[in-house]
Amino acid sequence: MSLLKLLLLVLFTLTPTLALAYDVLLLQSMHDKGYDEAVRGFKRDCRGSVRRIVLADYAELDLTRITREEHPKLIVAVGDRALELAQKQHATPVLYMMALNAKPRGAVGGVSMLLDPGRYLSVFGEMGAERVGVLYDPARSGGYVKRAVAAAARCGVKLVLREVHAPKETPAMLASLKGKVNALWMLPDTTAVSPGSTEAYFLFSQAERVPVVTFADVYLSMGGAVALTIDRYDIGRQVAELAQRVLDGNPPEEGGEPPRRAITRSNDSVVRQLKLNGAVGH
Amino acid sequence: MRRRKLRLPPYAKSFRFRLYLIFTVTIALLTAAFVTFYVLTELNAFRSNMEREGKLLATVLAQNARLPLFAENREALDILADGTARYPSVLSVSIVDREGRLLAQQVKSQTVPGDVIDMRVPVSSPSGVLSPESALLGQPQGNEQRVIGEVRLKLDTSAARERLVALVAASLAIGILFWILVSLLCYQILKRVTNSFNLLLGGIEKIGNGTLSARVGLDGDDELGRAANAINAMAASLELRELENQALQDELLRAMRLEVQEEKKQVMARLIQTNKMTSLGLLLSSMAHEINNPNASIRFSGHMIGKMLADALPLLDGVWQEEGEFYLGGVPYQKARLVLTENAGKIVENSERIAQVVQGLRDYGVGGGGQLRQRLEINGAVSAALSVLACQMKRDVQLHTSLGTSIPAVAGSQQQIEQVLINLILNAMQSCAGRSGEVHLSTRHDVAKGEVVVEVRDNGVGITPETKERLFEPFFSTKLELGGSGLGLYISQFIVSEHGGRLQLDSTLGKGTVATVVLPVAPASVVGMLPAQLGQHAADPLHEVG
Ligand SMILES: Nc1ncnc2c1ncn2[C@@H]1O[C@H](COP(=O)(O)OP(=O)(O)O)[C@@H](O)[C@H]1O
Ligand SMILES: [Mg+2]
Repeated sequence: MSLLKLLLLVLFTLTPTLALAYDVLLLQSMHDKGYDEAVRGFKRDCRGSVRRIVLADYAELDLTRITREEHPKLIVAVGDRALELAQKQHATPVLYMMALNAKPRGAVGGVSMLLDPGRYLSVFGEMGAERVGVLYDPARSGGYVKRAVAAAARCGVKLVLREVHAPKETPAMLASLKGKVNALWMLPDTTAVSPGSTEAYFLFSQAERVPVVTFADVYLSMGGAVALTIDRYDIGRQVAELAQRVLDGNPPEEGGEPPRRAITRSNDSVVRQLKLNGAVGH
Repeated sequence: MRRRKLRLPPYAKSFRFRLYLIFTVTIALLTAAFVTFYVLTELNAFRSNMEREGKLLATVLAQNARLPLFAENREALDILADGTARYPSVLSVSIVDREGRLLAQQVKSQTVPGDVIDMRVPVSSPSGVLSPESALLGQPQGNEQRVIGEVRLKLDTSAARERLVALVAASLAIGILFWILVSLLCYQILKRVTNSFNLLLGGIEKIGNGTLSARVGLDGDDELGRAANAINAMAASLELRELENQALQDELLRAMRLEVQEEKKQVMARLIQTNKMTSLGLLLSSMAHEINNPNASIRFSGHMIGKMLADALPLLDGVWQEEGEFYLGGVPYQKARLVLTENAGKIVENSERIAQVVQGLRDYGVGGGGQLRQRLEINGAVSAALSVLACQMKRDVQLHTSLGTSIPAVAGSQQQIEQVLINLILNAMQSCAGRSGEVHLSTRHDVAKGEVVVEVRDNGVGITPETKERLFEPFFSTKLELGGSGLGLYISQFIVSEHGGRLQLDSTLGKGTVATVVLPVAPASVVGMLPAQLGQHAADPLHEVG
């Protein structure tokens, strides 16, 4: 008995030190299916030890203190809020994923949620759409649109751009595209695409008989023709690779990488109705 | 003061009119109820239809206004509102945003009619639309709706009122048409029905008035037809009954006529009898007078002879004593003296007897003695009868008399009872005709029954049953050729029954007959008050035969 007691005592005194020894601090904004998916992908490929903290579980998290005391080699931020918080400290390198709106600053790397514009442009190319209407908020998606315009010029697609500064402008801007485009490109821009204005895209699509190429499956059911979606699990794995490089001693690459994998889905009935090229999607 | 009363015209009292009234009123009420019900239902339906339409209109508008409202596109909203306001029942359209700011309005008419339907439908963002972020995160579609504004419609219900008026008018017209049609139909049916009824009634009235040969000319196998048949059958049986009655009445009349004839015959018989008696009485009284006169001189002569003889005899005796035997009329004096004395007495005696007989005959014939209420001693009546019959006595008939003692008096007429007894005694004697017979005459008092009984018994031929049935018929006689009148028993029966008594004849064929006269004893107090019989002759020992 006394031996057992002694053993237990040793175990209890040692556990904290054991628990605190980890490589990656995984900072997750909140409990969310999408985040969890990405985290699972990350954990699958990450060879270092990981501690996961969900911000929604804490009223206020003192990240500085945690990094000072626990010395993680890397912080992986999942979601906008986590990224914002992680950028407030500069001691530990930061990687991010699943953050749509937060701006990565300084030496912060990761995988963005926006697919490479080329992928979309190739879809438009397949469709034979020469002029593609794009609504965007320059404050949010200005950079991405700039890249897209450059890429479009290369593959002979003309992007007809409309700037939107408030969600309520969307319907009017869409109306201004009447007769000027062969397809619509819906960007994951919270100003251009808000719950109130979403249906305007599809009404436009219906009225003008132009396909809407969008970024998430849900829009297919509303009338979208083709959706190019990110693979959240794969994004996790992609970030795990980056993390490994950082853990190996390299500083993180600045700016985000686009997700390496995209899933193409299409709404067959819409495709059929708009008589689009059958090769689209799949 | 004259009382005023609701005076109904005569047709209003008829069954037909009343039925017709009831029918038409009922149908009118039903039609009115139906029309009211129909109009109300239709109106409600119309109103709810309008509300539904308004709701639909507002919902469609809300749906269409969603994007323009979101984009605050007033132009588009105005166009939408204008389009909606074109619907005829829409009075005004307004679209407001979440804060209640008016974004679009179309007012068609300012005049606000009484009843306006105010329809408000919220405009909400489509459900299940996610933000791009959520979509990227693969969050499931929610279903919360966000209200972003409101569509307000004012609907005019004056169309409903117009429709109501049209509906009421049409329903009323149809209802009245229906009512008229059904009333006409009812009238026709009622006419048919009540015609049969009136026929029936007419028939009944005729039959009731006595025209039993009348018949209700109604055929058909409905209730009325059956009633008519029943009434016809009744009338037929009544008719039959009346015919029977008539026949019976005729028969009765005939029978009565016969009876009257019979009566007349009887009365005639009595008249004949009376007449006979009266003439007999007259004959007897004149005869008595004729006889009495010479008889009186005979008696006087007898007396004289007797007296003279009484005076002459001592002289003749002296002669005989002195002279000795001598002859008178060829007879020696002593013998002649005896014969003279005896004959002289006999002259007077027989003359008195003649006088008595004549007196008796006269009493019997003349007797006015119709008076019933007189004191009557039955034994006296028997003696009187016998004295009348004295001369009729036949050698070969023996008459025995046994008179009861202390027989109370009876109220009645001695004359008549005498006549009865004479009749009975004569019949009894006649029944013994041609052979030696016996006639027993007896009187007695039956104290137990309070009756006085006179019995006349003979041992004659008796009475055959056929005869017995007709004994008391007037003029019935088996001895008509022997001078029978057939009135004896008839009159006797009449007299006895007048006295409250009865006359019976019991007979055994070949052995004899008993005739019984039974008379009720009068109460002593009554009898005491009655006068004694007039012309009553005391029983004469001379008349007592055998
Ligand atoms: N004592 C009697 N015995 C037999 N027959 C009698 C006797 N009394 C009456 N009759 C019958 O009754 C009939 C009627 O009698 P009555 O009226 O006295 O009429 P009449 O003596 O004139 O015939 C007689 O004819 C006779 O046949
Ligand atoms: Mg006679």
